Amino acid sequence: MLKHLMLASATLALVACNGAKTEKPADTETAAPAAPAAPEGATPGYNADRNAYFGDTHIHTRNSFDAYIFNVRRTADDAYRFAKGETIKHPSGFDMTVAGGPLDFYTVTDHAEYLGILPAMNTKGTKLSELPRAADMFSRDPDKILAAFQGVGASVRSGEKLEELYDIPVINSAWQENVAAAEKYNEPGVFTTFSAYEFTSVTSPDDSGGFGGGNLHRNVFFRNEAPERAFSTLDSTNPEDLWDWMDEQRAEGRESIAIPHNSNVSDGQMFRLETYNGDPLDAAYAEQRMRNEPLVEVTQVKGTSETHPDLSPNDEWANFEIYDELLASYVVSKTNGSYVREAYQNGLKLQEDQGFDPFHFGLVGGSDSHVAGGAYSEKEFWSKVGIVDGLPFQRGSVPMPGITDWADQPENQITNNAKHWFSRWAASGLTGVWAEENTRDAIFDAFRRKETFATTGPRMKVRFFGSFGYTADMLDAPDLARKAYAEGVPMGADLVGTGEAPRFIAWAIQDANSAPLQRVQVVKVTSSGETVYDVACSGGATPDAATHRCPDNGASVDITTCDTRPGTGAGELKTLWTDPDFTVGQRATYYVRVLENPTCRWSTWEANRNGTPPNPALPTTTQERAYTSPIWYIPPA
Amino acid sequence: MKSLLREPLVHFAVAALLVFAVHGVWTTYVARQDGTITISRADLQRMAALYASESGALPSQADMAAMVSDRIRDEALSREARRLGLDRDDTIVERRLAQKMTFMISDLAETPEPDEATLRAWYDAHVDTYTRPPEVTFEHVFLSPERHGDTLDRDAATLLATLNAPAAPDWQTLGDPFILQRAYGDLPIREVVRLFGADFAGTLAGLAEMDEWQGPVQSAFGLHLVHVIASTPSHVEPFETVRAKVEADWREDALRAANEAAVDDIVQRYKVHIEGAE
Repeated sequence: MLKHLMLASATLALVACNGAKTEKPADTETAAPAAPAAPEGATPGYNADRNAYFGDTHIHTRNSFDAYIFNVRRTADDAYRFAKGETIKHPSGFDMTVAGGPLDFYTVTDHAEYLGILPAMNTKGTKLSELPRAADMFSRDPDKILAAFQGVGASVRSGEKLEELYDIPVINSAWQENVAAAEKYNEPGVFTTFSAYEFTSVTSPDDSGGFGGGNLHRNVFFRNEAPERAFSTLDSTNPEDLWDWMDEQRAEGRESIAIPHNSNVSDGQMFRLETYNGDPLDAAYAEQRMRNEPLVEVTQVKGTSETHPDLSPNDEWANFEIYDELLASYVVSKTNGSYVREAYQNGLKLQEDQGFDPFHFGLVGGSDSHVAGGAYSEKEFWSKVGIVDGLPFQRGSVPMPGITDWADQPENQITNNAKHWFSRWAASGLTGVWAEENTRDAIFDAFRRKETFATTGPRMKVRFFGSFGYTADMLDAPDLARKAYAEGVPMGADLVGTGEAPRFIAWAIQDANSAPLQRVQVVKVTSSGETVYDVACSGGATPDAATHRCPDNGASVDITTCDTRPGTGAGELKTLWTDPDFTVGQRATYYVRVLENPTCRWSTWEANRNGTPPNPALPTTTQERAYTSPIWYIPPA
Repeated sequence: MKSLLREPLVHFAVAALLVFAVHGVWTTYVARQDGTITISRADLQRMAALYASESGALPSQADMAAMVSDRIRDEALSREARRLGLDRDDTIVERRLAQKMTFMISDLAETPEPDEATLRAWYDAHVDTYTRPPEVTFEHVFLSPERHGDTLDRDAATLLATLNAPAAPDWQTLGDPFILQRAYGDLPIREVVRLFGADFAGTLAGLAEMDEWQGPVQSAFGLHLVHVIASTPSHVEPFETVRAKVEADWREDALRAANEAAVDDIVQRYKVHIEGAE
């Protein structure tokens, strides 16, 4: 059966390749916008102009060592059933259903380190369950549990194996369990899964002696066939060794990509300007990094990694869901080297000075939920670490039970963790891809093209195209997308200069089940700076030519009811934009940011339901957004 | 093939192979008895070949020594573990063995060929599986409020008249661009909700199939003129349409049943005694 599946997907890959080739028209003088025929073997819904598909590329289940200790017992099967619309249980006892309806794709990315070991330690009759560490780990003594767990975390971080727990058959069989679940639920044309896992590298440890430190995690996705085992930090903590392994797998026909995440808490290490071992970067490093890591997760429950107010003082929207404490730690992460926008700038500097760019990546979003189901809606939030932050008082949106006034809130372990960590997390995120159809090959191809965008939870759709030949009348052409592809490039691509100024089409629609759009922006990054331009405003307004800002659109939120003012915001925004500060000989990275009208933050929804005032330390509203992969302008040779 | 079997050289080779195989079994047996671990020439060649295929180079003397000592260590430890009975009380080892046995059985289990009556009976018993949700096949022409402003409603009325005129232009050349598809086939209503919102989906589900364009229908994005080509309520698909799927489902179930029967056969060979369960 498996063989047949593989054969079938190989055939599909061939078909997809042919499709992509024939789809690019040699001549662009198309008078009647007849839809190109779908290639043979295409699934229903195939669209040569590409559909937006939404999914979560970052999900944990009981097989992750940390999820299990958070009392998570849901499996990969449960995770996929959740994504397809079924209701599953949170470890704190309530029901979870995916906000906004079933997702198009979903990926379980359990930590590869000690994969499936904790479930085995908690299964009577196994050798692992007879270890003293197992007795401590599943005791009722919080100190013993913490010590046993920290021991595992410390090993994941240091890469020094705990021989007693490094049970290879158990680990590999848990991996095969996850691979089998991905195979079982993958349904071409309907629902896509990938075999995937998380490589859990941690840098700059704090002094806790445990897992605490800077986040260098990445999720590894296999296009089709999965390997027998997963390369983890117990093989090497150096991500460059992971890339070597991925290169080897690729040579044997197992294609994969890795997606780094939470650079915001990497202590400046994710985009540092040195190799893991402190050597200078070079062209070979950049090439290997981009071959293996074409995408970066820019938003998730644990904060946003786009930029930081200290890095972007002129961006009024930079102070958005900033979370900056190292993993499992109260130590603040270094800012420089931790954010995507700064990495784009450093990439351009390296390109101009030394001829290579290791940060030429596109953007995606994920939840990093450890409870098998992602929390994407502020209105129905359950955070991500199971029984530790499953209830509102644990995450600081409402005072401790029995207290109604924030002035009486005590200081203890729960309120401290809420203050440092959980109150500063938020509902997020999803990956949008533009792909011809909902199949592994089409979606993986979109990953490779970087024709992807990230959202903080809602499913707004955003297109971004660049060209030197776009004209204003195209905005009214019923076949706008087809023309835009034919005469230019989509998000994720390079646009090589001709001497003229590039023209961009930025086009977005709101999530029909979420708030309307407030504005569409283009963020421009060069080696010498950054500028945020509003390019399309709701309410029929135009951006001010000097400040590049839309006028106030009158949107507001009543934080006592979370009602929003009706009649403000737009269902759709689109524009043709030319950079007013364009310099023909200067490299520039352009990406689009789409902002919804303001809505209640999850902590306000929970406070209202509890009948207590919102936590005064937290923002009451949020502004959901989408980020596209960039288009890179490259000057003419 | 037959002529090959008459070749004396082949006789010799087969005889040699047999001697080799018997010798192999014998030495293993001897090793089990007297505690010797034998690494045969063939073992060495296999290790070298594996190394070469993985690394692309021949192993050095030191590589060979390391591989041999690993192999001896594994063999000694696993024999010792078996001697101590560690393989017997480990749930994970037991489950793995049971799993391997199950895989072996499932390759052997045979399923009979289904006849028409069997498949029809299966279909009747699993009618839910072959029921489709309400679906709609439609084309739509979009009018953007941002582009039309105050004349949106009037422009929609004009465009509707154009679309329904006797010599109407190709609908695909009319209206504003829409960021998603302009034609959908057999789209389940719940998908319409996801893409266009509940209000649009509710209105669309209530429109009748007809040649004329209808609307405008309001969505979160603007106005849509709609051509409903087919609107299908929830219905059971006829047997003839889904025959292939019925057969595949039946086969999967029959195979599962055959596998279970094969497992049961094995279980039946054992007398089961559960203490305290008499």
